[in-house]
Amino acid sequence: MYAPQSHQNRNAIVTSETESMPAVRIRPKERFNLFQDQRVRAAMYQVLAAGIVGFLAWYLVTNTAQNLEARGMNTGFGFINATAGFDTDFKLIDYTPGVGTFGRIFLIGALNTLLISALAIAISTVLGFFVGVLRLSPNWLVAKVALAFVEIFRNVPLLIQVVFWYIGVFSLLPVVKKTIDLSFGAERVLLNNRGLYMASPIPGELFWMTLVALAVAIISAIIFRRQTRKLQDKSGTQIKTLLPSFAVIVLLPGLVFVATGMPLDWDVPALTGFNFQGGTSLPPAFLALLVALSIYHAAHIAESVRAGILSVDRGQQDAAMAIGLKPGRVMALVIIPQAMPAIVPPLISNWMNTVKNSSLAIAIGYADIVSLFMQTGLNQAGYAVEMVGMTMAFYMAISLTISFFLNIYNKRVQLVER
Amino acid sequence: MAIIKAQKTTARAAPLSETSVVGWLHKNLFSSVFNTLLTLVTLYVIYLTLSSVFIWGFWDATFVAENRRECFNNSLTGACWAGVIDWFDNIFYGRYPRDQIWRINFGGLLLALWMAPLWMGRVNGKVLIAVSVIAFYPFLAGYLFAGGSKNLFLQIMVTGAIVAFAINMANMITGLTRRVSLNVFVIQLFGKTSAAEKSQRNLLLLLAGLVYAAVFFWQMSWHVEVVNWTKWGGLFLTLVISGIGIASALPGGIILALGRRSKLPVVRVLSTGFIEIFRSVPLITVLFMATTMFPLFMPEGFVLNKLVQVIIAVVLFNACYMAETVRAGLQAIPKGQFEGAHTIGLGYWGTMGLVVMPQALKHMIPNIVGSFIGLLKDTTLVSIIGLYDILGMLRSISKDVPWIGLHKEPLIFGAILFFTLCFSMSKYSRHLEVKLSAGNKH
Repeated sequence: MYAPQSHQNRNAIVTSETESMPAVRIRPKERFNLFQDQRVRAAMYQVLAAGIVGFLAWYLVTNTAQNLEARGMNTGFGFINATAGFDTDFKLIDYTPGVGTFGRIFLIGALNTLLISALAIAISTVLGFFVGVLRLSPNWLVAKVALAFVEIFRNVPLLIQVVFWYIGVFSLLPVVKKTIDLSFGAERVLLNNRGLYMASPIPGELFWMTLVALAVAIISAIIFRRQTRKLQDKSGTQIKTLLPSFAVIVLLPGLVFVATGMPLDWDVPALTGFNFQGGTSLPPAFLALLVALSIYHAAHIAESVRAGILSVDRGQQDAAMAIGLKPGRVMALVIIPQAMPAIVPPLISNWMNTVKNSSLAIAIGYADIVSLFMQTGLNQAGYAVEMVGMTMAFYMAISLTISFFLNIYNKRVQLVER
Repeated sequence: MAIIKAQKTTARAAPLSETSVVGWLHKNLFSSVFNTLLTLVTLYVIYLTLSSVFIWGFWDATFVAENRRECFNNSLTGACWAGVIDWFDNIFYGRYPRDQIWRINFGGLLLALWMAPLWMGRVNGKVLIAVSVIAFYPFLAGYLFAGGSKNLFLQIMVTGAIVAFAINMANMITGLTRRVSLNVFVIQLFGKTSAAEKSQRNLLLLLAGLVYAAVFFWQMSWHVEVVNWTKWGGLFLTLVISGIGIASALPGGIILALGRRSKLPVVRVLSTGFIEIFRSVPLITVLFMATTMFPLFMPEGFVLNKLVQVIIAVVLFNACYMAETVRAGLQAIPKGQFEGAHTIGLGYWGTMGLVVMPQALKHMIPNIVGSFIGLLKDTTLVSIIGLYDILGMLRSISKDVPWIGLHKEPLIFGAILFFTLCFSMSKYSRHLEVKLSAGNKH
């Protein structure tokens, strides 16, 4: 039986089954109490919280201002344009001590941090995927070796690893006179206790044509691949793309390069005096930090890759095997694509940690933003609040950017899943 | 027509390929040509690594020597562990006066005894034990390690710690021998089992008060030599910093996590901002902030020592990470629990404190152990800003005259030490995880 709801009293609940009973009024009339009312209490809590934080901020700021004045310390961001009198052994942009400014120092440090983080992220991701897949290898011995790798490098503090690679490995390499040649006698890649020396290319006049050819080759390979995909979707005919694309990408630029008369010189490192000059050189601190960061984070990434792969239903693998895919293709075409939504969030938080952990450069003197700007720069200029603040803001900007992209990815994955 | 056997067929043994060693080897190591090749190559690499490590670290190594020269005289290709062994006291206790080291060991022993009942199935009141450790032990340990004169507050807390420890131990003994908690045992002892609840409680309070008063007068006569914090170091300092870090990060993290999930916008924004700021910067910048900016924050004439600055930084930093752990734990609690608690008339704090938090915290124990491992590893960073924690000590060996230039061996020793600590803890946390999730299934 349908009983219309009572419209007379909104606070009343009408029992529809027994119509003879009068409407029961559940909510009694409340007397307004300032301390019991939820909204008043909520507002009070918020005012209280804001008040405490505001007071703390005011207290710290006034104290700091007083202290700065009492110690005769300068404030403000004017130091950015002041000249810095110290040099650094590793920089990506031009800088001369005594001419360059602290703003320039900040930029050098930031670029150095970004460079080593980007390299470490790339290496650790590739290595981490590799080890993570090995962790699940059907070969018992290989799986256990991968497990040992992961556990050893995850459970030793990164700082000890960084210092060990620096003092225990890269500083104990042969001296300059006994340099190791990594390019098998060509003297293009040299390693000694002063660092890694590589020949760097000097493009000639017509070298741009080779680059254009390379771009054309890559684009045409991509188009070719798309067309074959379309064909396969339509008719089921498979055309192998790997070999032709590879041939085009190698041959076309190669031909252009030879036809234009090989317009490329090499700046080869040469022994002059006590050390090698010329080419590109990477100091031992850079190499040590890069190796330590890559291995440490590869161990972490391997674990999230393994967890992601295990999260894919076992039936998927069975089905892929049943339709005749080879083990490698099962991984690449079926398992990994489905594991990605589980792998990517921890992977990206690992990338963020890599950027943050690159600050351990300070322990071995690689000129990243912390050791160059926040330590050496601060010792020279003494703007503690501003310099620490700028360094923190730099890291915050990076992590905000990364989490912005992570959010976009998460949304896309959710849309696909539906 | 069906043929039916009168006797049951005896089960055949599993095929050899499934049970025998050879079968296992074939399946896991030599199933194909490629696999066989892989196994052999891996075996060879393992052999190379292990044999060179063994020869360097053990066979050719020097364990007893006066200085590095003697190590070289003994063998040029082996490790020189003598330097590490010579520095053992420094590595573990820093420059703590040698005749006072018993205080550190005693403090560690107290903590171990205090926490031991947590792993005993027969002992009751585990939550109270855990709370008493966090609330009282730091004061007792702080007094024991630092020494000197104590003010009234410290006297009260130290007495409280001793009484709590004594009650805990007595409770453990009654629990182990008679399977009852201490309060029940005391009431039985006085023959008051049938008395009113109020008089029972009064009796217990009176006894506790008497014990407290006795201990208070007893401890007034104590005198413990002052050991300046600058003498603290080694593994001891690492454990002090990370211990305080985890003990205070937990309550801080709970408050921040509740703030972040709060319905009040001001509270939520403030907590979220605080958490995200500290989580997006490296620990080393926070440590630098502590050592360069904290002195500026304080009112004039108020000086914090470096250790306190570092501990504040570590606590702030870890509270923010812990807040995210707690938040994950809170999110795992089904909505029905909140609604149920509201239905029986509990307010916000009642819901959180009595219903949600106890369940969330239980699920978070493995993650809390995980944060502790991370904190222990991160604590090595304090050596960068000039505290002589274990890494600081390990690195100073190479500057000691007899052992000058001895870099590798101390670092490897430190790595092995940390690996043992962290690996065993992470194994334990994984075991807990399995145990807790098994107990949760219906």
